[in-house]
Amino acid sequence: MAELGRFALLLCLFLSGYAILADLLGSWRKDNGLLDSGRNATVACLGCLTIAMAVLFIVLVRGDFSIKYVVSHTSKALPLAYKLSALWAGAAGSLLLWLWLQVGFVVVAFCRCRPQEKVFGGGARAVANLVSVYFLLVMVIDKNPFDVYVAASADGAGLNPLLQHPAMILHPPTLFLGYAAFVVPFAWAITTLGYRRSDVSVPLFRQANNWILRAWLFLTVGIVLGSWWAYEELGWGGYWAWDPVENSSLLPWLTATALLHSCRTYKAQSPTAGWVKVLSLLTFSLCIFGTFLTRYGLVSSVHAFDEAGLGLLFIILLVHIWIIALGFALYRRLRYGISKSASAWRGVRFIIYNNWLMIIITLVIFVGTLFPFLSGLFTDKKITLQPEYFTKITSPGGLLILLFIGVCPYLLRFGITLGRRTIGAVIVITAAVVAGFATGGYAVPCFIICGFALLNLVADVVGYEMKPAEGGNKRTFNRRGLRWYGSRLVHFGVLLMFVGIAGSGAYGTEEQRVLQPGGTVAIGRFKIVYNDLTADHGPNFTAAKAHISVYENPGPEATINDNKPNVPANAGKLIDKLTPSRAVYTARGTAVSEVDIRRTLGQDLYLALTDLDSRSKMINLRILVKPLINWIWIGGAVMILGVMLVLISRYKPKVITGD
Amino acid sequence: MQNFKNESGSVRTKTIVKTLIGVVVIGGGIGYFMYQAMRSSWSYYYSVDEFSARSSEVGNASVRIAGRVKEGTVARQFQQMRLSFILAGSKSTVPVSYKGVVPDNFAEGIEVVVEGRLDKAGLFQADRLMTRCESKYKAKVK
Repeated sequence: MAELGRFALLLCLFLSGYAILADLLGSWRKDNGLLDSGRNATVACLGCLTIAMAVLFIVLVRGDFSIKYVVSHTSKALPLAYKLSALWAGAAGSLLLWLWLQVGFVVVAFCRCRPQEKVFGGGARAVANLVSVYFLLVMVIDKNPFDVYVAASADGAGLNPLLQHPAMILHPPTLFLGYAAFVVPFAWAITTLGYRRSDVSVPLFRQANNWILRAWLFLTVGIVLGSWWAYEELGWGGYWAWDPVENSSLLPWLTATALLHSCRTYKAQSPTAGWVKVLSLLTFSLCIFGTFLTRYGLVSSVHAFDEAGLGLLFIILLVHIWIIALGFALYRRLRYGISKSASAWRGVRFIIYNNWLMIIITLVIFVGTLFPFLSGLFTDKKITLQPEYFTKITSPGGLLILLFIGVCPYLLRFGITLGRRTIGAVIVITAAVVAGFATGGYAVPCFIICGFALLNLVADVVGYEMKPAEGGNKRTFNRRGLRWYGSRLVHFGVLLMFVGIAGSGAYGTEEQRVLQPGGTVAIGRFKIVYNDLTADHGPNFTAAKAHISVYENPGPEATINDNKPNVPANAGKLIDKLTPSRAVYTARGTAVSEVDIRRTLGQDLYLALTDLDSRSKMINLRILVKPLINWIWIGGAVMILGVMLVLISRYKPKVITGD
Repeated sequence: MQNFKNESGSVRTKTIVKTLIGVVVIGGGIGYFMYQAMRSSWSYYYSVDEFSARSSEVGNASVRIAGRVKEGTVARQFQQMRLSFILAGSKSTVPVSYKGVVPDNFAEGIEVVVEGRLDKAGLFQADRLMTRCESKYKAKVK
């Protein structure tokens, strides 16, 4: 089986090399035969990669322990779902998955062109196949998922127990879906740079535009899932640690957000045309760079995979891409001169301001992420930045984003005028700044601006609904309405998310206590009583379960009574019983704490059993009160729903009926 | 024609000057913010060997040290919620005392990063302990 997989990869490498030549020559000479041949080769690449994926899947499920990748990531006892997720648990498998998705998207986007778009499609395919070649080189030479041992092993090493969680099955592939989908706008952008200037409308823009939205959707889902997993599973109570791996998924998300907004006003010679191209390039480059950064240990990370190897090929790929792009741009500049921007819709400059804001935030996070590496270049010491750097630097940036969400809906329509709304905005900004200095934090300004933005969103919706429809007809819920509401919903989701981030970040409290049975802790408006420790057995683990009663704290007179046996008389009303536990996986001896959370929309009470002594039944308990944190996930869900509405609105049925 | 050229030239200089001022102001603001944020949150990062070689130079500044948890040296003081172990490099070792939550995948023999200061007795008092969340689980060598 492994031979088949290796052969498929080699054949794919050959085919994508051929496709580049055929497509380049075909678009140069406008030769239909060559272009068709390039297209067929690209489709054949997808076929080869599908075979390779199938082979890897089969050997993982069947447990072929002569293959290194299978041995490192699975074991006989692993449940089927986790054997499947082992497909993307390692560098080699995840590269294969990424490439497979990428070529699949390229086939969908660029292999079914209309006749007048054929030449353009060929160019885009050539660019995409160039990326494929690099990926395949890395896989064939360095990270081959089909490498075999001389002598087969009896059993595999298994999957890290922390990764054995449903969110972890979904989180990596959704991120890869996002990364891979950005190849479409990327290939489109480079081809556009090399395209004849005289055409007003650039072909295939609708394709690129749709794929940007899809990629953004996947990336958002992936990031939200990842942070939710960290909160539920890691027992540390946070959801985002500003780790290089997390940052490397956030960076392309930020540039992609700018890209989405630039696409809204795109026309071939509009002021945002350049932005769309640059941001497409930047986003895809950041996707690749993130992979390089984390997979090859340039910066040590909590997630570090630290596998030295041919990571340099990714850097060469990036340099190659940017040289091509700059070359094309320079050629255009020399050949056609600087083009006058077509008279644009006046709101366009706010989109450009937004782009700059996103770029600056991206840059600041990028520098922070690479800081240990950069400082190592200039001094003989490595300097790392603590997560506080990122929170300090992104908080004002986040507030600016919020402000943009608040003011842009009407700035785009009316511009800056001396009206009620402008005065309102100035008052709100002043209030936010004053509140920020008075409280010494960002949370209150965040709430103020969120409220302002919400008000504006509501006003916008009301204005939209009140506006009479064209021709005096009764307004119907049409496609345009769907798109309009979808995008407003996304922004509403962002607001909810910011409320959650600010609330849980600024008003959370945290306690770490040693408790005997009967001990109590007062935290926030809760009183927590530790009752008992019991043993629990699962199929492959033994667990200790702490039984904890949660009372509503009656008032400030309730004193903190540590380790005082018996429940105090004024304990208040029993509102919940929580059972955080700690499971020891017998096979490996690693302990995993299972948190228990009392969830309400107002606040979460988060209990994690961090350590225990089974003889004396004493426990170490980590208690967190996280106000408003659930609004982060709710906001994420609202955002995802909104993007889906926009995507549905863009769906065009092939056959137009009725009209 | 000449006039026109001059005019457009001066307009151009004006735009350039405007842009430059904008870049300087915004760039300066961002730079200031970044500097402020960095100053309070940076810490030097050493391997155990580097740290031992430079311990006099480091003094009691807050640093991060990366090393391996030496087998058989992990001791938990349950009541104080303390964990002590010896962090080993290839040549030297540093005794570490850590107060706080122990990550789930902490074990003997794994690579960890600790953050804290060296006290006068030569014990490294850590207030942060980070383990690496590896995608690949390495089987224990028996």
